[in-house]
Amino acid sequence: MTIKIWKFFDREELYECYQCARCTGSCPAMEVTAALGPRGTILKCLNLGHEAVVQDEKVWFCCTCNVCDDRCPQKIPISELLVALRNSAARRGNVPSRLLLSLELLTKTGRTMIVHQLDEMRAHHGLAPLPPAPVDEVRAILKKTGLEEVLDF
Amino acid sequence: MSDKTESTAKHLPLDGLRIGVYVCHCGKNINGTVRCEEVAQYAQGLPGVILARDSLYTCSEPGQEQIKGDIKEHDLNRVVVASCTPRLHEPTFRAACEAAGLNPYLLEMANIREHCSWVHLHDKDAATEKAKDLVAMAVSRAARLAPQTEVTVPVMRKAMVIGGGVAGIQAALDLADAGYKVYLVERSGSIGGRMAQIDKTFPTMDCSICILAPKMSEAGRHPNIELLTLSEVIGVQGHIGNFRVRVHKKARYVTNECTSCGDCISVCPQLAPDEFNAGLSIRRGIYIPFAQAVPSTFMIDMNICLNNQGIVACDRCFQACSKKCIDFADRDHELLLDVGTIVVATGVDVYDPTSLTELGYGKFPNVITTLEFERLINAGGPSSGELIRPSDRERPKRVAFLQCIGSRSKRSNPYCSNVCCMNTIKDALLIKEHWPDTEITVYYIDIRAFGKGFEDLFQRARREGVTFIRGIPGEIIEDLATDDLTLLGENTLLGTQYRSTVDMVILSVGIKPRQDSELLQRLLNLATDTDGFYMEAHPKLKPVDTTTGGVFIAGAAEGPKDIKDSVTQASAAASRANILMSKGEVKIPAITARIDPEKCTACGLCARVCPYHAIVGGKEEGNYRVIEAACQGCGACVPECRFGAIDQTHFTESQIVEQIDVALANDPHLKILAFACNWCSYAGADFAGVSRIQYPHNVRIIRTMCSARVSPAWIERAFTKGAGAVLVSGCHPADCHYNNANQNTARRVERFWRRMEKVGINKDRLRLAWISAAEGAQFAKVIREMEAGLKTIKPAEIENAAKKLLREAKKKSDVT
Repeated sequence: MTIKIWKFFDREELYECYQCARCTGSCPAMEVTAALGPRGTILKCLNLGHEAVVQDEKVWFCCTCNVCDDRCPQKIPISELLVALRNSAARRGNVPSRLLLSLELLTKTGRTMIVHQLDEMRAHHGLAPLPPAPVDEVRAILKKTGLEEVLDF
Repeated sequence: MSDKTESTAKHLPLDGLRIGVYVCHCGKNINGTVRCEEVAQYAQGLPGVILARDSLYTCSEPGQEQIKGDIKEHDLNRVVVASCTPRLHEPTFRAACEAAGLNPYLLEMANIREHCSWVHLHDKDAATEKAKDLVAMAVSRAARLAPQTEVTVPVMRKAMVIGGGVAGIQAALDLADAGYKVYLVERSGSIGGRMAQIDKTFPTMDCSICILAPKMSEAGRHPNIELLTLSEVIGVQGHIGNFRVRVHKKARYVTNECTSCGDCISVCPQLAPDEFNAGLSIRRGIYIPFAQAVPSTFMIDMNICLNNQGIVACDRCFQACSKKCIDFADRDHELLLDVGTIVVATGVDVYDPTSLTELGYGKFPNVITTLEFERLINAGGPSSGELIRPSDRERPKRVAFLQCIGSRSKRSNPYCSNVCCMNTIKDALLIKEHWPDTEITVYYIDIRAFGKGFEDLFQRARREGVTFIRGIPGEIIEDLATDDLTLLGENTLLGTQYRSTVDMVILSVGIKPRQDSELLQRLLNLATDTDGFYMEAHPKLKPVDTTTGGVFIAGAAEGPKDIKDSVTQASAAASRANILMSKGEVKIPAITARIDPEKCTACGLCARVCPYHAIVGGKEEGNYRVIEAACQGCGACVPECRFGAIDQTHFTESQIVEQIDVALANDPHLKILAFACNWCSYAGADFAGVSRIQYPHNVRIIRTMCSARVSPAWIERAFTKGAGAVLVSGCHPADCHYNNANQNTARRVERFWRRMEKVGINKDRLRLAWISAAEGAQFAKVIREMEAGLKTIKPAEIENAAKKLLREAKKKSDVT
């Protein structure tokens, strides 16, 4: 199922961007990796179209710290755009495998990582084992977020 | 109420009418959307019309000759031109009528360009139908026009210039040289303004104060200029040609015998930040703003003087002064000055970047603004022209300039500040000139080098080794040990991240309207644009006129501009003022209110709403009357009269009621009837047209001078005729061109809403909107919203409401 991203994000807002790069200047993801960056994302959306962007795995590098929103002189809600793009990417199957793995764990165990080792460490320090995660509740929440519509898991 | 308007409408003679209608194609501007030929054919069939033509350009010489010829040949006694907005070409066509011997007030215009063809570009049929309606409305109003004679009032041959920056000085000198007495009013202790603070000017790299100082002293000693420093305008009364201005002149505490020898400075015990040096140095309690100040007289800052109100008997300056110029008994006083014209040149403030916390201005000592830099590098500045950085007073080896700080941003000012690019390039070259080994990087978004000689200067900076990097830093980090600054950002052209360390950062800050510009705006009834700058009467053709007659604008108060543009505009403003004063008289439009003494019961309600105190009289005299020279023609008094004793010349009840009736002749339930004031809302609708902002075509606009002229009787008539919706629109509450006459509009509309509620009519059908001349988009939005609301109302409901209103009005008139 494909979905038009502009349903979730006002395309007009993008035309306000004049590429000053204040957003990328304070982007922590750009500091550590060759992420697309908020400025580059907007430019690619405008010049190459949204299809080209959502094929790119780099849309997942954003850590949603929202500093770009704060820095933007044109008040473009960039983080909203990035989230909308990732939704769109997910519907096209462009999701990093490690993210899918975490999701699978979450739905099965209620946690995003395996905690057996953690339990051993806790016992070593005399702490009680972790209580079981409320898997059903987590699933219900995931269902409510509409994640199932976007991904099969 | 409705009966009254009905009867006046019917009583006017319609016999003997010979109306000529001219439908202008305006090239393709109108004819591209409206079928002009069809409109002209339609006009031919309207009552009173004996001739209707369409022409390519009616405003052209042949177009005007055609009108003149027809007036003579066909004995026309009314002319209707359907073309652009009357705000543009009404004077043109009035002159044509007058030249052919027809009274200019017998011309009427239908606005089928700004209000029709340009805003309904994609619906030719609807636009043509609307144009027909607009022409029919104009013809019906034309039929009721009467010849008028304009009153002339004398123009006093004295001028006032408010603001003593370079624009104000230039305007004052031009006017004084032309032979007029000029009052130059300056708020601070010396004239000179921002230009006096700047070190060099771009693109010629002239020394700023060196070229300004001769002009300053010329203004200071000119026999025709009376310099009023430490003075502010606090009140303005009167009108074009005859203003009475109240000026508050603060005490200087030093007489003008002062030779500025400076003996008093060293003995003064009080210190304060030096405003002229942007707070980078300190001055004493007794001081002169800067060495070249005009008048060259010291002044005492009473806020810090120990002898304020004699609290401490410090008189060291008095003792030190050999000429005994210190006068602690000096007091503030008020002046009343009569002038014929006023030039406003109040200049701008500088943007304060403190709120952009990521840049650390105010927190990191080595982050400074361009204005501070100008003082630092100036020989007369706090460091005697040595470039030092504030933290350790060492010379910076690596300097970064950041562009567009506080400009082009929704977080601060949305507009481009116009001067910062070139100012930075000039500053970078200045550093290179004195200390060529300095590494200079300019972080920019776009370099706007648009003026004469600007591109050359930009290229020169690049040749001399200034690095330009596209991409503004998002973050500045300070090294606590060295006070050096690290900039984090992206070079957008390379697509790489940078992290560069520099010794000093200079923020190229933008400029903004004066914080208190609103005060003068209200005193002089000026309009401001959406950015807060004073607005010109027309952006292209009247760039230094304001909407208030006899008041002109110059310099950056009108919008960000450099020195050359400010001086150009100042001379233009002076020349415009000169035209008025050299003629010595001016014609006042014949749109004043008139009171019928027979009908007047001397209740005095009209006198209470008049914003100009132009209505005098009383119970003892038996009636009230209008002073024609003082009446500005807003018409606020007319709807206030319960006895129908007042009417406004050229905007009479019968003329407008006729327009309403014709506008609602066909399918009234689908229509929005809009009343728009001449200065703001009608101009706003014009602006929507100029900007080609499309909106629903079912709106019919009727122009009044002020929204306060809109009578509740008109609204009632519109609804009883079955109008779908009615819009009353005027200037924003504080921006009314008639001294807040529009508060009457609000009061009357609110009362009508209550009446609608009582009778049981959906009150959303009457809307009140404040739309300024710059808000074309807002006008379109209001119409779109009203159209959307109208779609939810059934025709039966409209019909029912009309009946209810009629019944209620009849009951009311039966009682009275």
